[in-house]
Amino acid sequence: MSLRRRLTLSLCTILVLFSINVGTHFWGSYARQESMLAYRSSVTAAQLSTDAAQLLENQRQQILVLETLRETTGDMLDGDELADAEADIASIDSKLTELGALTSEVTRPQYEKLQQASRYLLDSWLAFYRNFNDPDFDSDIDDPLPFVETLEHLRQLEQRQAFIAAQRSTIIDRTIALTDRITVIGFVATIFLTALLGFYLLRYTKRSLKRLKRGTERIGMGDLDYRIADFDDRGELGDLAKAFNDMSDKMRRAIEDVRRAKDDADDANAAKSRFLANVSHELRTPLNAIIGYSEMLQDELEDPGEVDREQFRDDLEKIVRSGRQLLALINDILDLSKIETGKMTLHLETFAAGDILQQVCDAMTPMLRERNNQLYRPDWSQLPPLYADATRFRQIFLNLLSNACKFTRDGEVHLTAACYQKDGADWLRCTVRDTGIGMDAAQQARIFDAFVQAENAISANYGGTGLGLAICREYCTLMGGHISVRSTPGAGSEFTVELPVKVRESAPASA
Amino acid sequence: MAEQATILLVEDNAINCEMLARRLTRAGFRVVTAADGEQALRLMASEAPALVLMDMNLPVLDGWSACRAARQDPRLKGIPIIALTAHAMETDRQSALAAGCDDYATKPIDFPGLLAKIQRLLPA
Repeated sequence: MSLRRRLTLSLCTILVLFSINVGTHFWGSYARQESMLAYRSSVTAAQLSTDAAQLLENQRQQILVLETLRETTGDMLDGDELADAEADIASIDSKLTELGALTSEVTRPQYEKLQQASRYLLDSWLAFYRNFNDPDFDSDIDDPLPFVETLEHLRQLEQRQAFIAAQRSTIIDRTIALTDRITVIGFVATIFLTALLGFYLLRYTKRSLKRLKRGTERIGMGDLDYRIADFDDRGELGDLAKAFNDMSDKMRRAIEDVRRAKDDADDANAAKSRFLANVSHELRTPLNAIIGYSEMLQDELEDPGEVDREQFRDDLEKIVRSGRQLLALINDILDLSKIETGKMTLHLETFAAGDILQQVCDAMTPMLRERNNQLYRPDWSQLPPLYADATRFRQIFLNLLSNACKFTRDGEVHLTAACYQKDGADWLRCTVRDTGIGMDAAQQARIFDAFVQAENAISANYGGTGLGLAICREYCTLMGGHISVRSTPGAGSEFTVELPVKVRESAPASA
Repeated sequence: MAEQATILLVEDNAINCEMLARRLTRAGFRVVTAADGEQALRLMASEAPALVLMDMNLPVLDGWSACRAARQDPRLKGIPIIALTAHAMETDRQSALAAGCDDYATKPIDFPGLLAKIQRLLPA
């Protein structure tokens, strides 16, 4: 559940409880008010009953006195006295009417009985007053029964009213007690629930936050594989955990990338250092000859006697040869550097591939003889003219053939050339195969990388800067072709060069 | 200078081998040459040279292996060896000394310096 939904739910619960409390409070207040009203009406009714009873009693006494006077003295009742008596009776009647107004449905029978009795009594009293002066009027006013009945009914009504009031008051008291209880329970429940919800919310949220915090700390300490697993919180915190895990993934990938890049850079750096050491080694070998022969010739010139001119020319020839070797090496390094910085341009022209390959084979003769290798070459006459960079083409095969000779002793070197069609274009495929020391798969995978030789031990044994094949590959790529190798350790290697017969001007730049 | 002391020169590069052999001959030594490590070990046994100048980058058996082999052979271990190499790093010098060479000279060879090293190592 989301944090927002959790908070909303808690708030709603608390609000509902609070509303119940407020409602109960109003209910209680209403009940109290009702109770007050009932009490007041019962007090009023009791007062009225007492007053009415008192008035009835007084009137009765007065009538009995008047009756006695009338019989004994024959006094007359003047107009004022009659009016007073009528007003007194009307007052009693109005008290009883007031009492009727307070009568409910429940007490109605008692009231009607009272009304009946009182009506008769009061009517008889009124008749008494009005006919007081009539000597023929025979009053039965001293008959106490109607008066007693009226009083009895009044008393019954009062009792009934008191009973009803007591009953109602009991109900109302019960209601008040109930609402009070509900209010207290509601209040306590609200407090308890609020505290519980708060505690639960805090605990639940805190647990999630704690896990997030731990994850952050772990990641911070470099444990990039750490993930917040089985996160049961599906709201904002769940999203946060997911985002956190995503971030960890991305960070790990980024750091892996950086590490890889660093490793690559370290490897390249190490390869460059090795390359520099090799270059230094290779430069020093011809330099050693140049300096050594020059110093030796200087020494010989210091010697007395005739200089052996033939020997002298031979020695100078060696100095020149070493100098040229040095130059070729320097050119190789510069070429590769140019290719690597993208500054190498092709000089495309049409030439006979066979002628160039023939020249390369001729140049190999001394090296082949030195290692006692036999060269097999095809009939070039069927090869079409090539539109490519003749210098680079020659250099590729000089490198491949001299490698084949260098790594083969008392063996064979085969050169083949053939045309074929690919994607509607003419291509030339040349292979240089030897029966030399060969390479394993790992060496083959790295053999075309610049600054890399298959193995330091091999360079130690066979010399070379490790630049030849890198240069070959770059030249092939520049001309839109490619070079590949197949080899078996101990059985020999086969290099295959594939070039378009017509190299396009916009040949792809070096890789 | 010792009279006609024999020096075994081990060098696979023909031009450098010839040059150094001629200069050593002019300096008064008898020079025997070998083109690889195995040949060097054979000649050390048969010619009993007073000193060996050993190139380290050799075919068949490299200079380091040849040195180690010579140092383990009771007949050959007394013969001083000077390493000659085009590797100019400090680590190369240490690897040569670790292989059992007595001294070390970097190509291009400073010839008077090399002669001094030879004199110092030749048996009195």
